[in-house]
Amino acid sequence: MKILVLVKNVPEVAEAELEIEQGALDLEDLEMVVNEWDNYAVEEAVRLTEAAGGDVHLMTLGGEDDEDVLRRGLAMGAHSATHLCDEAFEGSDPTTLARVFAAAVKDGGYDLILTGVQSADLGQASTGVLLAQELGLPHATMAIALEPGAGEVTVTRELENNTSEKVALPLPAVVTVQSGINQPRYVSIMGIRKVRKMTIEMLEAGDLGLESQALGREASSVAGQSLALPPVGEGAQMLTGSLDSVCGQAAAILREKGGLA
Amino acid sequence: MNPLRMPFWGVDAAWLFYLLAALAMACLGLGLWEKISLWRQGRRAAPAPSSKQALGPALADVLLGRRIWRGGRIAGLMHLMLLWGFLGLFLGTCAVAVDHYLISFLHGRVYLWFSAGLEACGLLLVLGLMLALARRWLLPVARLERRPDDTLLPLWLLAVACGGFMVEAARLAATAPPWGAWSFVGYGLAGLFPGPEAARELFPWLWWSHALVSLGFIAWLPWSKLAHAIAAPASLYLQGQPLAVLAVAAEEGDLAALGLRHLLHLDACTRCGRCVEACPSARAGEPFSPRDVLHRARRQARLKYSPLYRLPWLRGRRQALLERDRAAGWEDAWYCTTCRACLEVCPVQAAPIEMVRKLRAGLVEQGSAVPPPLMDTLEKLHRYGNPWVAKKGAKAAWAAGRDIPDLSRSGQEADWLYFVGCTTSIDTRAQGIARALSDVFTHCGVSFGTLGKKEPCCGDIARRLGEQGLMEEQIEATRDLLNGRGLTRLVCTSPHCFDTIKKVHPLFLEEGLPLRVLHYSQMLHRLWRQGRLTFDHPMPLKVTFHDPCFLARHNRIVDEPRGLLGAIPGLELVEMAEHGLNALCCGGGGGRMWHEIPGQANLAVRRLEQAAATGAELVVTACPLCLIMLEDARKTGGFEDKFGIIDLSELVARALRLTAAMDEEAV
Repeated sequence: MKILVLVKNVPEVAEAELEIEQGALDLEDLEMVVNEWDNYAVEEAVRLTEAAGGDVHLMTLGGEDDEDVLRRGLAMGAHSATHLCDEAFEGSDPTTLARVFAAAVKDGGYDLILTGVQSADLGQASTGVLLAQELGLPHATMAIALEPGAGEVTVTRELENNTSEKVALPLPAVVTVQSGINQPRYVSIMGIRKVRKMTIEMLEAGDLGLESQALGREASSVAGQSLALPPVGEGAQMLTGSLDSVCGQAAAILREKGGLA
Repeated sequence: MNPLRMPFWGVDAAWLFYLLAALAMACLGLGLWEKISLWRQGRRAAPAPSSKQALGPALADVLLGRRIWRGGRIAGLMHLMLLWGFLGLFLGTCAVAVDHYLISFLHGRVYLWFSAGLEACGLLLVLGLMLALARRWLLPVARLERRPDDTLLPLWLLAVACGGFMVEAARLAATAPPWGAWSFVGYGLAGLFPGPEAARELFPWLWWSHALVSLGFIAWLPWSKLAHAIAAPASLYLQGQPLAVLAVAAEEGDLAALGLRHLLHLDACTRCGRCVEACPSARAGEPFSPRDVLHRARRQARLKYSPLYRLPWLRGRRQALLERDRAAGWEDAWYCTTCRACLEVCPVQAAPIEMVRKLRAGLVEQGSAVPPPLMDTLEKLHRYGNPWVAKKGAKAAWAAGRDIPDLSRSGQEADWLYFVGCTTSIDTRAQGIARALSDVFTHCGVSFGTLGKKEPCCGDIARRLGEQGLMEEQIEATRDLLNGRGLTRLVCTSPHCFDTIKKVHPLFLEEGLPLRVLHYSQMLHRLWRQGRLTFDHPMPLKVTFHDPCFLARHNRIVDEPRGLLGAIPGLELVEMAEHGLNALCCGGGGGRMWHEIPGQANLAVRRLEQAAATGAELVVTACPLCLIMLEDARKTGGFEDKFGIIDLSELVARALRLTAAMDEEAV
């Protein structure tokens, strides 16, 4: 089975102190990590090929530094990778991105294309679905289990309130993978070192036969306006000062509001 | 009449004996060859130095059984009797061979003393064996198992020894030589025979049964746990050699990366169980046993690398056993706290602390058996240089409002680099140590600075968790920073950083500046001895000291912290039942601080139960991990109204009246 997994490098923001500069997140102090959902997708693809044979190919779209996300996937057991890297791609909306991916994927002969359900940074959850549309392939979203069969794949989809739905798709097909489908393996530093010398295919817009005016911000149907940090909530009171002082203040508030008997 | 030995007296068909002896020797040779060829596949720390320094202690350990005495006098006595009895008889047999085939010297007085000496050795052996059997069956010692060969081996040897005495007795009864009394045991037993004729008649039967039992024993020897007679001395000798960098295995549980030393350890172990008794995890009932880890590794090593398992008819069995071990997995390796208690008590220095690290390295490289909390910790270490928070630059927050030179910047100078460490600089409870220590340093006029936000992780956690590549990266980053700024004198908060920077960094530092590393307890002790740190205010407190494993066992630092405690007027130190080199681990080492293992016990609570028994008002320690573990256990284990937990640095700062912050919280 030949499987393609789309992966993306995203900034890790969970515990970071965020700053916005000129309408964009200041990435200076942020670490770029593999998009959580994509990590599950890579693990799933590697497991499928470990069990039944085949190849896992990775593809990302991004700047030069984003090669890391491909190296990490190769260290997990993927066999080859393509890096779509061109300034012309910057600012593209999911529809445009899907067109770019479609151009890069269409002659690949993949049986299965996996993406994460969504990306952690922009969270549009649409690239995978739009790619299926663009390629004219069946798709299923929110996969929490995959069982490949003869000429088809059975996908268990996660629905609300712990319900799930099983659907069968003829191959080739596009499936977006939900987190928790598996437990992704640890990627060691040595593992990444071992794949340092593997060649990664680099493609620009021209290689895909795409005109730059059909790409990027200009070609997008949605225009970004602003990015904002969460406002300080009205119900919340931020205590400042030394540890002792903060504890003292907190105790005083609890006492005052009757929280301490 | 000149006393002399009578070889093959009363025995026909000596050729048959020689044939059987050849067979037994072939079996012995095959067993030894298998072991040696397996050991030779281990990587040697290049180049294997022949260290004369290690030879003396190793010989003393072997010949006097020093490490066995430490575990109990009866065990020590038993082993000495067996060792010297066995060794004496072995040397005696060699002497007989020399006498018989090369130069005849066993006659006259020499022969008489020789006979008496062998009698004594035989007697020692018999008594030792009876003691060994008694320790399994009559007055059982809890740590000893009762596996079939634990009983069979001493019984067999007993049969050899007693058979030998009976043969001798029959010969003496039959021939009644005037010097017979020199063979005092056989002479005494000769009376059992009704007369010379009966003895003469029985003699061949006794002789042949003794010969068969003895030859059988020789054939079995290398396959039994008596193989430790060869592996243990080598293991003890190699343990005294310096640490070396060994490559890491490529696949799960792969032992290819094990060094010669580790492979010798595998055969040196006799399953005495001292490690199981000492291990904090095993003692607390967790599903971990150093002994079992070692023996699983030993089985794996044999299955994978023994030349015998390459024989076609053993291949199927090999596959089945390998499969069984693979299914069992090596996940129990995550229970180990790397506290070194097992190695401390191991008579042959074979306990599997390094092996656990290798096993973890195998699991890390393979990837899918790394528990998620540890994956998270390793990711944080890799991206943010600390195991605690996923953000950069968190390491300087503790020093807010303090004017401490940042030695990572050019233009800033100080005599000492205070290496704060991840936990001390980030964890809110442990930050107290950094603040107290910097106040004490300032009070004593020590010129010091830190690396501020830029302080890297020393690599200890990555090393203990088996992430060799990350460890190397972190050590290189630390080296580059230190070399770039010309920093060579370090004082560490954490015994873990101290241990790693002191012992592991130099292995990677051939090009770098020579480092001088101290733990802060050493530094404060030195300041006190120099008179730069004096305690003027009495502190009437009863305290007990919890030795951090990486200070006491790993680095033998037990006197310095106690010296400081003794210097504070009014302070009374009461020791816990297990202290110093025998201290019980708090459970925070080996990465367990960042791990929740299913079925794990609260090891720190068990430690605090020992502390509570002393009646101390304060438990003092000198490690941020111990501090956090014990503080948590104090709260969850119901010790809150019994005593407080405090770090030595905080106690010193309080004694100097530099800080009041800790007073209410700790007591």
